[in-house]
Amino acid sequence: MSIELREIDKHFGQYHALQKISLSIQPGELVALLGPSGSGKTSLLRIIAGLETLDEGTILFDQKEVVHLSAKERNIGFVFQHYALFNHMTVFDNVAYGLKVRPKKLRPSKKEIEDKVIELLSLVKLEHFAKRYPSQLSGGQRQRVALARALAVEPKVLLLDEPFGALDAKVRKDLRRWLRKLHNDYHITSIFVTHDQEEALDVADRIVIMNEGRIEQIGSPVEVYENPASPFVYDFLGNVNLFKGRLRKGELINGDFSFKVPGSNLDSEQETVGYVRPHDVAIEKEVRPNTVKATVLHIHPIGATIHIELHRPDTNDYLEAEITKEFFTQLAIEKGDTVYIHPKQLKVFVPEDFSI
Amino acid sequence: MASLTAKKQKAFRLPGFKLSFGFTIFYVSLLILLPLSMILLHSLQLTWGEFWTIISDPRAVASYKLTIGASLVAALINVVFGTIIAWVLVRYTFPLKSLMDGLVDLPFALPTAVAGIALTALYAPNGWIGQFFDFKIAFTPLGIMIALTFIGLPFVVRTVQPVLESFRIEEEEASASLGANRMQTIRHVIFPTLIPAILTGFTLAFARALGEYGSVVFIAGNMPMKTEITPLFIMTKLEQYDYVGATAIASVMLIGSFFFLLTMNIIQWLIQRKYTKRVGA
Amino acid sequence: MTENVLEQPHTLPKVKIDSPTSEPKWIRRSLITISVLFLSLFLLLPLVMIFMTAFQKGVDVYLASITNSEALSAIRLTFLVVLIVVPLNTLFGVLSAWLISKYHFKGKNILLTLIDLPFAVSPVIAGLIFVLLFGAQGLFGEWLLERDIFIIFALPGIILATLFVTVPFVARELIPLMQAQGQSEEEASHSLGANGFQTFMRITLPKIKWGLLYGVILCNARVIGEFGAVSVVSGHIRGLTNTMPLHIEVLYNEYQFTAAFAVASLMSLLALATIIAKNIIEWRTKEVSK
Repeated sequence: MSIELREIDKHFGQYHALQKISLSIQPGELVALLGPSGSGKTSLLRIIAGLETLDEGTILFDQKEVVHLSAKERNIGFVFQHYALFNHMTVFDNVAYGLKVRPKKLRPSKKEIEDKVIELLSLVKLEHFAKRYPSQLSGGQRQRVALARALAVEPKVLLLDEPFGALDAKVRKDLRRWLRKLHNDYHITSIFVTHDQEEALDVADRIVIMNEGRIEQIGSPVEVYENPASPFVYDFLGNVNLFKGRLRKGELINGDFSFKVPGSNLDSEQETVGYVRPHDVAIEKEVRPNTVKATVLHIHPIGATIHIELHRPDTNDYLEAEITKEFFTQLAIEKGDTVYIHPKQLKVFVPEDFSI
Repeated sequence: MASLTAKKQKAFRLPGFKLSFGFTIFYVSLLILLPLSMILLHSLQLTWGEFWTIISDPRAVASYKLTIGASLVAALINVVFGTIIAWVLVRYTFPLKSLMDGLVDLPFALPTAVAGIALTALYAPNGWIGQFFDFKIAFTPLGIMIALTFIGLPFVVRTVQPVLESFRIEEEEASASLGANRMQTIRHVIFPTLIPAILTGFTLAFARALGEYGSVVFIAGNMPMKTEITPLFIMTKLEQYDYVGATAIASVMLIGSFFFLLTMNIIQWLIQRKYTKRVGA
Repeated sequence: MTENVLEQPHTLPKVKIDSPTSEPKWIRRSLITISVLFLSLFLLLPLVMIFMTAFQKGVDVYLASITNSEALSAIRLTFLVVLIVVPLNTLFGVLSAWLISKYHFKGKNILLTLIDLPFAVSPVIAGLIFVLLFGAQGLFGEWLLERDIFIIFALPGIILATLFVTVPFVARELIPLMQAQGQSEEEASHSLGANGFQTFMRITLPKIKWGLLYGVILCNARVIGEFGAVSVVSGHIRGLTNTMPLHIEVLYNEYQFTAAFAVASLMSLLALATIIAKNIIEWRTKEVSK
């Protein structure tokens, strides 16, 4: 099922939670709503589900307007951050709930319900836990029950609100992979909310990055990571080093060095910030043209990537660099060494008013 | 120095154990255990036959029936209305809500004798409420039930209220998103989680009603065999200096409440265990 | 219909959907009405009636009813009992809560049950047990009689019966509170060199002060209002062993309704003050936990 949101607006009292959000989602897509807390991502998800009302705008499921439908009429599956399992019901009864509450005419027979529940429980690998109560399960198992419960009503859309937020790192990774697989097998249009950029980049077909009630950027994981549309996206999607300086004639002048910024050829000078990912910071042992001196403050030598903290005496800035283990061995630097650095890639966001 | 072995080591304890332990045991023994054991001591002075004659006296049996019956009805009324009131206070907003919320505590704070005379005056045949009814309310079992409802209400409201307050709205949303209508959500999702609290409220209200004296004595009429509750029957025996009889009846009451509380605790424990027991692999 | 929507994406559907977590308006309205009616009829009306009856015959009669010597002596006796019982049960509440929340020992559950016991005992029986202990035919009856010590039908009996009835109030408030707070802060204080008393005064007391006050207020209300137990042990000696509730009973039984309700109104004011104080404390506790 395709989902289309048009100019959705929502206030909570004085607080403008969502500001004219428009978004269209293709059938079978797995979309992540990514943003910091308070960005409006959960409100948007709840509005799509019908758990929250909207002030203005339209929601279309398969071109049909659904705003006037209540949550129970929208045929969605919703998975909550804290599972929201019914603690007084067994795992079996939790999963069967959505089928059992159907009106008599639409309700499947007892046998059909049982078959369906057992099928779903084996899908989430919990078939032996049918008679247990939620309090007897681990967090990961509970969230799987919650997923099976949501899938039982054969929803056209699966909505997940920080589904892995309450789980520990290891379980989170397992479930993430498992959700991806589930989605590949079933192709239900799915939207999940997360504040974890790694999770979004890892799982989603497309990422919608939200900030302060607005969409900052929509794109595939590669697009948003490689070509962030705004400083916010750049910052939110990973560690970043700031090169504060002045932009003059297509060059960013920063302390002792300058860097060509493609696509910006302003005549006037202006203050600006260049963004450089840690893995785009090149480190040299010898001084070369257009490099800048820095001191090695600290080396984290764990893993395949070596993280290096640096200090620039010219601007008194602190920088972070990431290099491969191989290159690190080649380079043979130690804490306290003086090195020369330059950005391999630098992104400058020019305010629109000044660009030509 | 090798002799400093495990023997010398002690688990760390905050200071004050001896003082608090000594004082607590002393206080409880002297003020609760010793006096209560008097019931046992005095009852044991009777032979079983004498004891049975006293406690199976028709007047005593009538008082048990009335006390248990009126307490049960009152506690059930409180379960129904107390749950509704707790629901309304937690879920809805309406004018004067905090006044109503505060009012619920009145039976806890108001002396029972004051409640007793006020209710009697209200429900007497010529009282503000009594005058509208063709039948008598005060000085009948109906009046006793009203007094017991009055004193029991806060027990139900104040045990159900916090459970409703901490109820996670997500479970209701999950139920709605799975296609349940509001009545189904209330019946299958909300109500079952309130049962332990409602049972506790019922237990407290009923236990309190069984022993209640002050608010009932004025409105009851105190006619032997008709409107005489057990605590009042004990009082009557005391006024006639029949300490033996009073003690025997008191022991019946104590044993009765004990078994009632025990039963309710077992029920609660069974409910608890159902949801949390570990299932062997 | 579908196309229409597509062409005019800004149209706002005017159909209001019910919130998925609330009930239809008519159900909300009727439940609120039922609750308000029930509370008004059962709780508010008696309160209104007490004050109206008390002032029925004017302010002069009212004042006379609460300032005559018998009323004054009942008030004095009640406050004397409060001054003795409340501090004792507060001390017990704090010490027993400290014991139960900070240490592990055998029989803890039995002790907890014993502390709760007075809640489950009828006030009449609470009075009776002290009569059986100290009354003329009681265990120590003769021994006391020989020495001219009067406990039953005298102040000590009233105090003992009231003590018994109100034992659990402070303890029951503090035990769950102190158990929830754990003891790591006390252990930290001890490791920094504070002794037990310093630790209690500087660490524990500030953490439990609102809960303690709450318990004290509830205990106080019950001490003032206790009727059944005191009724058994007091002997109803006018001007000597009548507390306020007993005084009300006497007036009521003598058909002095206005006077009875005048004293009752005084006690109702104390009850209202109790409720207000309780709400302030609850409000404070919520503010702090925010």
